[in-house]
Amino acid sequence: MNFWEILGAWVGAFFVISVLTMLWKDNPYFRFGQQAIIGATIAHYVLFNMKNVLNMALIPISKGNVILVVPLILGLLMYTRLSPDHAWFSKYPTSVLVGVGIGVMIAGTLRGQIIDQVKATVVDIFTAGTTFDLMNGIIIAVGTVTAITFWLFTREHKGALGASAKIGRIFLMVSLGTNWAGEEVWYLTQIIGRLIFLINVWIKGAILGMA
Amino acid sequence: MVEKEPANIWIKLGNIDYRWLYALSFVLMVIPILRPIGLPTLVSEPTKGYYNAIVSLPPGSVVAVSFQGSAALLDEQEAQFIATWKILFERDLKVIFYCPSSDGVIILNEELEKIVKPEKYGKVYGVDYVRLGYAPLGETGEAALATNIRSVFPTDLYGTPLDEIPMMKDINDHTDIDLLIFQHTACTSVEWPIRQWVVPYGMKVITMTLGCCGPMAAPYYPKQILGFLAGSGMGTELEVLSGHPGPGAVMSDAKNFGVLGLLVFLVFGNLSYLGKRFGRKE
Repeated sequence: MNFWEILGAWVGAFFVISVLTMLWKDNPYFRFGQQAIIGATIAHYVLFNMKNVLNMALIPISKGNVILVVPLILGLLMYTRLSPDHAWFSKYPTSVLVGVGIGVMIAGTLRGQIIDQVKATVVDIFTAGTTFDLMNGIIIAVGTVTAITFWLFTREHKGALGASAKIGRIFLMVSLGTNWAGEEVWYLTQIIGRLIFLINVWIKGAILGMA
Repeated sequence: MVEKEPANIWIKLGNIDYRWLYALSFVLMVIPILRPIGLPTLVSEPTKGYYNAIVSLPPGSVVAVSFQGSAALLDEQEAQFIATWKILFERDLKVIFYCPSSDGVIILNEELEKIVKPEKYGKVYGVDYVRLGYAPLGETGEAALATNIRSVFPTDLYGTPLDEIPMMKDINDHTDIDLLIFQHTACTSVEWPIRQWVVPYGMKVITMTLGCCGPMAAPYYPKQILGFLAGSGMGTELEVLSGHPGPGAVMSDAKNFGVLGLLVFLVFGNLSYLGKRFGRKE
């Protein structure tokens, strides 16, 4: 490791350990680390975005691409939110963003996320090649239909609708449980990544000088 | 005055200091880092689909990589990234990297220049691969890029006009691209390539994402996306499948051990809850 890599390892370790001390209890070392990291992150993104405005708007405008003045003005109008009297100006860029966003999304959403998904849910049952695929298709179809009925609030959940909603709730709970398990394992990955850094880079590399 | 409940075994179990959980998990996670174990890895179907989508491409095919890498989430996806770059570079493919996140440029730079090193595979910048750099694309930007790459990236990362880059001379829109590898860190972003590449143009798409986003990607597999990687676990699967060992193996071992600690305390917590509940009924 060269000097800069060793320095980077020590600085990194300083901040990783500062965050980990929170596991014991709140303390000034943790707060310093937390605020320094937040400050550095904000500085990074502010600089990056300033560079974007320069490269993607100001320089092209100075070279004659005057049409870019329009998005630049729309962007600047967002700052009128800082003044309550002029905040209504910000509705213009907001409506342009929402309008363009919906326009771009709507066709793909209808086909990709509704029609094709419904088709896949139904067709899988009739095209299943093995018993396992068939069972899988049936479980997905039942789960989809019953989970949708859980969200039907225009009728009281009684009789067949009530039974379906109860089954749908089980599917929803399984789905949420799976998502939550994914979150938990993801948090573990984050801490393991930092432990690997502390052990392999900081202790073994920077302190012990091992390759 | 409220009478204090006597501390039986269930209450004691439920009141174990949470710091013991951290201590136990730490110890369990550190063991495989110090001494890698190499637990067996089963390769799942979505990972096979992801791998096959790349290796089944004919020589000379063009692959676009939308790379939204985030420094804060790198540990979760680094195994996926490095294995994917190696698979791409060891084949006769043309690769276009573009970054809809500012971190992506920095991460890609580190990984290509310090770890993967395309020149090791005989790849030349501008001939076999190109880096278009960062643009705050969002979904509208992805849509624009699919119809005209030059409208979003008139130059590459180094400021060279695309027309002056040999590889990019005949590449300008989705018709010139054979596969899109879409990497994302926001779970709902999996819908972007489906809405902007798959639905309008029937493009082949595979995705890389975080472990917690896997359930969001799964409904689109295998009809709309040919395969996906979710989290470091599936990154490890790709390492095994492609024969490119990387950071995923140690991560998976440590994760498996770390989960053991969580499971132990999950059992304790539930035993405590059930014990208190039934004890009260008596």
